[in-house]
Amino acid sequence: MVYAGLDAEEYDRTYSDRELFRRILKYFRQHTKKMIVVIIFLVLTSITAGVLPYLTSLIIKQLETTSSTTMVVALVIVTLIMNISSYLFNYINKSLSAVILNSVTYQLRADVESQVLIQDMSFFDKYPTGKIVSRINSDSQNFFEMAQIFIDSISSFLVVIIMLVPMFIIDAKLTLIFLAMVPLIFLFTLSFRKVARKKTLQGQRVLANVHSFVQETMNGIQIAKTFRQENTLYREFKDINKKSYKINLNRALFMNFIFPGLGLIQGIMLALILYYGGESVLKNPSISVSTLYLFIQSLWGLFFPLFSIAAFWPQFQTGMAAAERIFALIDSKPQVIQKGSKKLEKIRGEVSINNLCFSYTPEKPVFDNFSLRISPGESVAIVGHTGAGKSSLARILLRFYEFQNGTITIDGQDIRFLDLQTYRRRMGLIPQTPFLWGDTLENNVKYGNPDATREEVLWALEQAGGGDWVNDLSNGLDTNIRERGKLLSMGQRQLVVFARVLLQDPSILILDEATASVDPFTETRIQEALEKIMENRTSIIIAHRLRTVRHVDRIVVLDHGKIVEQGNHEDLMQKNGYYARLYNTYFKHQSYEFINEIHNKA
Amino acid sequence: MIKQFDKYNDILEFHPEYDPFMKSRRKGATYWILHHIFYRINSIIVFTWLSLVVLSAFLFAKMKQYIGNAIDALKITNEELFRNFLLLILLFGVLSPIIDLVANMTRELLAQRLERDARYELYVNLLGKSQSFHDRQKIGDIMARATNDVRQLNYLISPALSLIFEAFINVLLPIILIIRFYPLELLITPLIFSILFIYTLKLYVDQLGPVSVDLQMEYGNLNSILNESLAGIEIVKGMAQEETAKKRYEYSSSRYKNLGITQGKIQARYIPILLVALAVTGGLIHGIILYYHGSMTIGDIIAYVGLLGGLRFPTNISIWAFAIVRRAWAGAERLLGIMNQESEISESASPLKREIEGNIKFENVSFHYPGSETKVLEDISFEVYAGQTVAIVGTTGSGKTTLTKLISRLYDIDSGCITLDGFDLQKYSFHSLRDQISYIEQDIFLFSKNIYENILFGRKASKDAVIKAAKDAQAHDFILKLPKGYETSVGERGVQLSGGERQRIAIARAFLSNPKILILDDSTSAIDSETEEKIQYAITQILKGRTTFIITHRLSQIRWADKILVLSHGRIKAQGSHEELLRTCEEYRKIFVTRFDKSLDELLEAQT
Repeated sequence: MVYAGLDAEEYDRTYSDRELFRRILKYFRQHTKKMIVVIIFLVLTSITAGVLPYLTSLIIKQLETTSSTTMVVALVIVTLIMNISSYLFNYINKSLSAVILNSVTYQLRADVESQVLIQDMSFFDKYPTGKIVSRINSDSQNFFEMAQIFIDSISSFLVVIIMLVPMFIIDAKLTLIFLAMVPLIFLFTLSFRKVARKKTLQGQRVLANVHSFVQETMNGIQIAKTFRQENTLYREFKDINKKSYKINLNRALFMNFIFPGLGLIQGIMLALILYYGGESVLKNPSISVSTLYLFIQSLWGLFFPLFSIAAFWPQFQTGMAAAERIFALIDSKPQVIQKGSKKLEKIRGEVSINNLCFSYTPEKPVFDNFSLRISPGESVAIVGHTGAGKSSLARILLRFYEFQNGTITIDGQDIRFLDLQTYRRRMGLIPQTPFLWGDTLENNVKYGNPDATREEVLWALEQAGGGDWVNDLSNGLDTNIRERGKLLSMGQRQLVVFARVLLQDPSILILDEATASVDPFTETRIQEALEKIMENRTSIIIAHRLRTVRHVDRIVVLDHGKIVEQGNHEDLMQKNGYYARLYNTYFKHQSYEFINEIHNKA
Repeated sequence: MIKQFDKYNDILEFHPEYDPFMKSRRKGATYWILHHIFYRINSIIVFTWLSLVVLSAFLFAKMKQYIGNAIDALKITNEELFRNFLLLILLFGVLSPIIDLVANMTRELLAQRLERDARYELYVNLLGKSQSFHDRQKIGDIMARATNDVRQLNYLISPALSLIFEAFINVLLPIILIIRFYPLELLITPLIFSILFIYTLKLYVDQLGPVSVDLQMEYGNLNSILNESLAGIEIVKGMAQEETAKKRYEYSSSRYKNLGITQGKIQARYIPILLVALAVTGGLIHGIILYYHGSMTIGDIIAYVGLLGGLRFPTNISIWAFAIVRRAWAGAERLLGIMNQESEISESASPLKREIEGNIKFENVSFHYPGSETKVLEDISFEVYAGQTVAIVGTTGSGKTTLTKLISRLYDIDSGCITLDGFDLQKYSFHSLRDQISYIEQDIFLFSKNIYENILFGRKASKDAVIKAAKDAQAHDFILKLPKGYETSVGERGVQLSGGERQRIAIARAFLSNPKILILDDSTSAIDSETEEKIQYAITQILKGRTTFIITHRLSQIRWADKILVLSHGRIKAQGSHEELLRTCEEYRKIFVTRFDKSLDELLEAQT
């Protein structure tokens, strides 16, 4: 799960480091003034942090060499002031960077999210929701963390440089010896990276297994209880939990080598420097012992910032990779592009499809020279086997996909030249699985028409199969029906979608009939409501109900993107052709004869 | 050696009754965690760990002291002494990290075991809970606890408590050394610092806590809002509501941003950092004064200031270590909140064990779910004879599923009486009841094992018997078409089975267990007539020879049932045979009249 967003997608591309930096900098440019302040205070913080130990050593030296108290007092006062200003500098720097980094991440999120929203459906077919979400949210989070660490590392780096200056002055040779050993620290932390990554991944995977096992148990707890399966589950859980323990312990033990390892390097470096320094003091008494002590003292302060820089590099790479993935998503282009922006007002609802050519992938054409005319107010049922092109037709009409050739006109206007927003508001969509939002019932009904009044909402629900069930909800219209309308039954969800479309009052209705079963009472309401919705508008229905095909004005029978038969139910049945065979496959079991006889057959 | 201290492997079977932690859970989070650490994981490991931490800190302090000694040796140009101290520095400089390493390993052992054991305890506890508990609980919520909250316990030990313990030693160490080697008045600075430190740290943690909680929650929101928009992208686009979706996301995203800024500012303001700097300077000033009084040497000042510098470590790690502790404690409390809930249903003192025939009688039964006040079922009375089929119809929320759950006693009723073969249901032992009642639920749940094991479902039966059951359930043919036949595993990455196929596997399961009473919550739908015919055939077969309650939308199953119960708002609105209901119940009649465009007379005519 953690790595859900890490797989490469088709829209992924590689950016050169320069390009990537340029893009990232663009986001920071909006905060130029604040950035300058941050940098100034970053330098100031580092200077005070680097100078403070030096000040202390100066005071000690003063105590040793002179008996004048004024200088000591002055130095002590300077130290105090430095301490307080160091805190203030750090505060300004940290709180301002929090503002900048959070704003930059916010902007990045907003940009990538709005870019994703303008993608057409072919994009969403290809990439699972979870992966897109992970890219928008966790990758930007990774980027944020990287930027934070980046700023911290700059300050660590500055501290190291500033502290090295007095050390150089004190003893250049010892400083060089010290610097020569620094790469050792980096080599050490880097050598951990590969194995650490592998072990971490293993640990996460085995933990994910444990979690999905627990989830599975919880999902199936009732059946497990009725079948008395507790013991089997118990033993399996115990094993898998143990396995996770072993692998994660192994990872933790391995990771624990890093800091003691660094401690070891620190100890050895100290001893070596002390050795060299001591030997030279012994050979050449002109070097003062207290300067050596001072040097050692400064050295202590250097280890921590150095260690944190060494630990920073892998995280920096993670962050840059995250930035790259986000920009790739921002740069991906939708396929459906409108050639004009004519706004549609009230329309009659005449649909005309002429010589339409369409395919999802070039090698498999769905429609080749397909033509169909639907008069205003006509209800048309589209039937056919899976893959005949029923849903594709609906999706193309809604401009979810770009078609390759031919024209589609609504009231004589080419849909490629229309303003998509106003056009889609004239089209009413009822998808096969009703989709509702985790919001109040009222807002769900108002979704396509946010200005509707409460009375209108109640009216729409009343029209759509009677709104009496709304009273059974704890807060009536104000009940939050939870994500995807979980709180409602499947049938109720369909009724809400009907009400939603009624309130939107579209001129053309596109309806993909649900196949999911609902209780017989609600089913009766759904069928009645459907007929009410279809009144006075052009309706294109991908039909699954026997009653629907019997009631529409015209049935269009599709086979592999071609119309093979047209007409009403009775005529087509009498013809005993393609439709009659289709009836036997898909509709027969809904007939009264079937339900009356199946019992005796079985 | 370490294995000897591990009690994890001791219990082999599932014993919800044997629970060594029950009492400790009642005494709150702190006691529970301590009980886990000391009783279960073994105190020897804990004490080893803590002593090693002390030892390592001691060695490190000693090394620092030797550096001073070495410098002093240089001052008097005593080469031999210098070399000796140098060797000691090297020895302690190497020894300290090694001890550190061993301490860390013990700590990890403790942390990982705590996580493992807490998860184990939670799982066993959940497994032993009643069905009403599980109905009440959201799975997402339980999962959040089993994943995050349990993990937090690991972080509590490693790194949080470990760092805090080290920090504590680092505060204590200078104080002890000052008491031993310096004028007592030098304690003033570290003591004042410690008091102010604890006070400001508490303020900081109290400020940060709620913000981090909000931040986490808002990140969850950010995810769910985006998830929802993208899952419903067809609707967003179809109804031209992209702007709304964008606004919703940006609203949450900007809240998240502002919380992030607030958190950043609280962290930037962290006062102990200033306090420690002032403490070091204050100590220096104090030292200088004593130096002028002649009661301290320069070497003493350097060492004293060095000791105070050691306070930086506890100050720095406290920025986040206490936040982890706080989170872990909150997590532990949530875990206990779940585990301490009682199981409501208990077996009768002398449980009745007998072969069931299948005559069921409900007399004025009323029921409400524990924890809610609304009655789900009211005044339900009906009688079913062994071998009969009862169809329960009604809209969602009318109480159909609840009614069937009462039969296998997943819940106890409020009032009235349910009898099975003339004996009160509550007298039966769980085993004899649940062994002879099978349930085919609405969302058929298959475990991620292969089909064969899913049909077997823990029972012992020959391969032939499994195949026969699959054949009777009309499942054999489609199973053979799967990539590995009966060996095909039903997993997330495995084969996607349709609802109808899952249902037929469940029916096969029921054929194998051959119950006297069957409850079938049927919600599958077939798109084509051929599949529908198979499903109906399988259902009709499984009904034969047992008392069956069927909740279904399939009109043929309703039409041919021996008895139909029409439920509405928890009450029985009508009951009887198909023909009786066509005549007496208007709502029932409407189902058939609307669906088939037939008059009542036509419907009754076909009856014969």
